[in-house]
Amino acid sequence: MTLSTATTDFVAAQRVNRRNTFLLLAILTLLAASLGYLIGWLLSFDDAAPRGWSNGGVIGAGLMAAASIGWSLVSLAISDKMVLGMASAKDIDKADAPQLFNVVEEMSIAAGIPMPRVMVLETDALNAFATGASVQRGTIVVTRGLLDTLSRDELQGVVAHEMAHIANLDTRYMVMVGVTVGLIALVCDMALRTLNWGGSAHNRSSSGDKKNSGGAAILIIILLVIGILAPLAAKAVQFAVSRQREYLADATSVQFTRNPNGLISALAKLAEKAAPFPGVSHATQHLFIVNPVQDFTKDTPALLATHPDIEDRIARLRNLGG
Amino acid sequence: MSFWIVIGVIAAIGFWLVAVYNGLVGARNQGQTAWSQIDVQLKRRHDLIPNLVQVVKDAMGYEQETLTKVIQARNAAVAASGNPAQAGPAEAALSVATRGLLGLVENYPQLKANENVMQLQEELTTTENKIAFARQFYNDSVNTYNTRRQSFPAVLAAASLGFGPMDLFTMPETEREVPKVALR
Repeated sequence: MTLSTATTDFVAAQRVNRRNTFLLLAILTLLAASLGYLIGWLLSFDDAAPRGWSNGGVIGAGLMAAASIGWSLVSLAISDKMVLGMASAKDIDKADAPQLFNVVEEMSIAAGIPMPRVMVLETDALNAFATGASVQRGTIVVTRGLLDTLSRDELQGVVAHEMAHIANLDTRYMVMVGVTVGLIALVCDMALRTLNWGGSAHNRSSSGDKKNSGGAAILIIILLVIGILAPLAAKAVQFAVSRQREYLADATSVQFTRNPNGLISALAKLAEKAAPFPGVSHATQHLFIVNPVQDFTKDTPALLATHPDIEDRIARLRNLGG
Repeated sequence: MSFWIVIGVIAAIGFWLVAVYNGLVGARNQGQTAWSQIDVQLKRRHDLIPNLVQVVKDAMGYEQETLTKVIQARNAAVAASGNPAQAGPAEAALSVATRGLLGLVENYPQLKANENVMQLQEELTTTENKIAFARQFYNDSVNTYNTRRQSFPAVLAAASLGFGPMDLFTMPETEREVPKVALR
């Protein structure tokens, strides 16, 4: 079997993810600044200059922009520790699982990246995930059940999938997407509250103001609709991005192992035994190789799924020559 | 006015040369790093094989010929190491010999159950895999590098900047498959 996939594939994926991460950060900052301006403007009473920038608004924009950049950077720095802590992953010695360490090392060689940290989750469920804010600081976590059940080839396929998330910089990008979605939800919530409170404050303080109250009402209605719909849309986008990343990681996995059959039979086993386990929740579900929370016997609406259908993933892998 | 145009053109060519140079250096370094990774794994295999032969020697008294072949292939590979073009065939021959030995081990139940042998089998399997994956990464890197230095317009400058072509690390097609050792 020969696959004419070149190394440049995931180098290109890395570049796209780098750019998108930066783009998200920029959008986020802009969004936060706009909201900060709105809040600052509504809370301040310097309406003396109807044209031009409101001082309170500018201060609010600056504060919110700084806060969103700060929050993003902190999230990127500590997200892996938080996730590993939440899932209660444990370090293991090479002597306890020599084969796992060997397979991880093989895949890090295939990907041409440094050997990631290796950890286990003490549960019978079959699953795995990866974290890492950079290619140099990756961590691959597998469950004990996975270690005990899968054959060497299957384990290799799963590890290659996780290695692909690290090499593609998906791990970092998904953190940034998560922060964005969280911030949009928070911002909309705050905006809705501010509209209530700030709106009435303005009505009290500037009843005789020349401010066009009809225009303001329309603006407030538009903001209300945006405030309610935006978080939902953001969530849907996050899931779509997550599904896309899973397909790409499957393909990159085969590019590393040159053996689609390992991952195919691993996915088939995982579909049956990816039961929920302690320490996993909706906050971390998108990280795993197969969704540990979702019930695979039922059809989940595609829009709300963090992962593509396993059968669909297997079908795509078969197209790669499995 | 025309003076500034000349200066501008010279500066543009200068920047372009720097970009070409840096790009080629990056690609070549990746290739060289990849080669050193293969080299590490090949050496590891050269070290592991005598251990395996040592452990199975007594039990496999009737297979002296195979054992001798493995050791000979290993010594030939050690002698050829360091150069991608020569090491390829020697390492391919060693892969065949090793696979033959591992296959024979399957016929000896007392060996298969031996803790030492099992450990050596896993180590040899992972080393074979690492060689294959390192070779894959090395060849991909070399291809990227060679394509880059042959592409227009870099091809105009590559040779005069001292960027020669790099050799692929090829093992004969029949040896492409990694020896499969059933461990479970």
